[in-house]
Amino acid sequence: MITYELLLLLRIMPKNELASVVKRSANAIFDKGGFLRKLENLGTRDMPYKTSAHGMVHRKASYFLMEFNAPPVYIDQLLDEYSRDVDIVRRRIYKKKEAEAFECTLHEDMLPPPYRKSVQKLIEEARKSDKPRYNYNTGLDYYPFQK
Amino acid sequence: MFRQLLTASAVIPRSFVRSSVIRQSSSAAANDEPLFDMENPFEKEKQQCLLCRLKITPDYKNVKLLSQFQSPYTGRIYGKHITGLCETQQKLVEAEIMKAQAAGLMATYLKEPCYLKDPKLFDTDNPIRPHRF
Ligand SMILES: [Zn+2]
Repeated sequence: MITYELLLLLRIMPKNELASVVKRSANAIFDKGGFLRKLENLGTRDMPYKTSAHGMVHRKASYFLMEFNAPPVYIDQLLDEYSRDVDIVRRRIYKKKEAEAFECTLHEDMLPPPYRKSVQKLIEEARKSDKPRYNYNTGLDYYPFQK
Repeated sequence: MFRQLLTASAVIPRSFVRSSVIRQSSSAAANDEPLFDMENPFEKEKQQCLLCRLKITPDYKNVKLLSQFQSPYTGRIYGKHITGLCETQQKLVEAEIMKAQAAGLMATYLKEPCYLKDPKLFDTDNPIRPHRF
């Protein structure tokens, strides 16, 4: 089961209207057979860049975060529904991922280039495209006759 | 050919003598020799990058952290030769910044003025590795 995060930017409007829009967008998830895990209000603030949506230019927005589970096939439909909602300025759905454990490789990255694994891989990759050379089978590492 | 034969005949007795001498000396020193089965005591401690050391996983909602990896002049993400992060963390930071910018949480062509006075995590003028810029 994949948990999704939905970030909604709603246009500036009175509180009761805002509540109804949030309820509407949550109901859209319930209609698809999903459920909410979390609903957060991230506040109303200036957007980092102006956005034009539904024929209006918005410079401020109310931010809402919803954590929900829903069948993956309906995610596109959900986004489509939100895109047609005139009160929603911007919406994004991201998968919520558990961080995978990894080792810090800074000591390797700080090595001089020929010792780095990434560079060695590049060199190996370049060697693959080298032209095949004829092998004289003389057992010598040089050509014994005059060319 | 002739020179090869010469050198071969000259080497055989000398090598024989030398090996016998070495064997004698090694058997005599065998008891004296200290046993070094410990790890290399001079091995350097493994470096860790800032985020790995503090065990921070970048998240797209944590804009205050992400904006510290952004240039205040152009909004571009600093490369890992400046940020001093390991490859994995740098990739994560870049991905989360892209997500935040797409979601309308973070500015793209500048650092938001409210984050301008944040402490600097690295020196942008002295990158840890030279680069072509
Ligand atoms: Zn690291």
